[in-house]
Amino acid sequence: MPEFLETPVDKFTFKVATDRFYNREGVWAKPEGRSVRIGLSDFLQQRSGDVAFSEVKPLGTVVTFGDEVAIIETIKVNIGLTSPVSGKVVEVNPAMETAPEAINQDPYGAGWLVVIEATDWETDQVRLLDSQAYFAQMKVEAEREVKRG
Amino acid sequence: MTDITAKEQPKHKHRVVIVPCSGIGKTYGTVSREAAYDVTEDLRPAETQLVALSKLVLGDETARSVVADNPAITIDGCKLACATKMVRESGGVVAQDFAVLDVYRRYKEFKPQGIAELNEGGELLARALAEEIVGIVDNLTVGGEGGKNG
Repeated sequence: MPEFLETPVDKFTFKVATDRFYNREGVWAKPEGRSVRIGLSDFLQQRSGDVAFSEVKPLGTVVTFGDEVAIIETIKVNIGLTSPVSGKVVEVNPAMETAPEAINQDPYGAGWLVVIEATDWETDQVRLLDSQAYFAQMKVEAEREVKRG
Repeated sequence: MTDITAKEQPKHKHRVVIVPCSGIGKTYGTVSREAAYDVTEDLRPAETQLVALSKLVLGDETARSVVADNPAITIDGCKLACATKMVRESGGVVAQDFAVLDVYRRYKEFKPQGIAELNEGGELLARALAEEIVGIVDNLTVGGEGGKNG
C-alpha cells in the first residue's frame, strides 16, 4: 500500500496516511507500542483553516474514547477534538504551545497533538476507520463541501 | 537669490507604502485594511501612503511606480501572502511583511470577528498591528530617505 491515499477535490488535494486509523471527525491514531500518537487528518486541518492556537490536555490527563483531548482555534472556527483512544496522556507536542501552525504544515508528522498510553487499544481500534474507509468518507465530505460552496 | 536647496528637493517625498490584503469577506483581510487605514490616515499620514493591492494586480502604472520607488510594508490576511507577492512582482522592496494571524498570536486577547464591521477585538487587533507598523515606519523614515529602495 502507498504511504498516502490522495485525491484532488476542486482546487484542493487531500492526503490520508495509510499507516494509522481515524475517527469519523478526522482525528488520526497511530499505534506505537503500548502508546498511540494522535493528530488531525490533512482534510480536517485544511477544512478548519490556519490554526492560531491549540490547547491540548496536559500530561497525566486520563481520557476515554470520545472525550475532548484538544481544542484548536483557527481563523474560521474553534473545534474540540475528541480522543480516538482511551488512556493517559504521556507526551504533549511542545509545538502546540509555540508553533501550532505545525498542524497545517505537517499534519501527519510534526503537527501531532499528544501521545496516549492506551488502556485498551484493541477495543478502541475496532471503533475506528482504517485509512481506506476514512479516505472514502473524507472524499464524500470534501465533495459535498465543494458543492455547497 | 535662488533657493538652490529647495530646487534640489526630490519631486516627491519618499514615503513608506502600506499594502494590505484585499480579501473581501474575510475577517483577517478586514483587520489588515483597518490597520492600514489607522497608519495612513491617523497615526502616520505624512510618512505613509496606502496602495490598494487590486491596483497592483491590475498593473496600474501609478501604483506600480509608487511601490517601485518606495519601501513597502505589506499586511497579509492569509498564507497566500498576495500583498507581499504582488509588491515584489511590481518591482518593490518589502521592508517588512506582516501576517495578521501571526499578530493575533501575539495578542490572543483580541479575537477578531466580523467582516464588514469588526468586533471590538478586531478593532483592537487592528490598532495593535497598526502600532507595530508605526514602529517600522519610524525606523524607515529616520534620516529622511533611509528606507528608499535601491
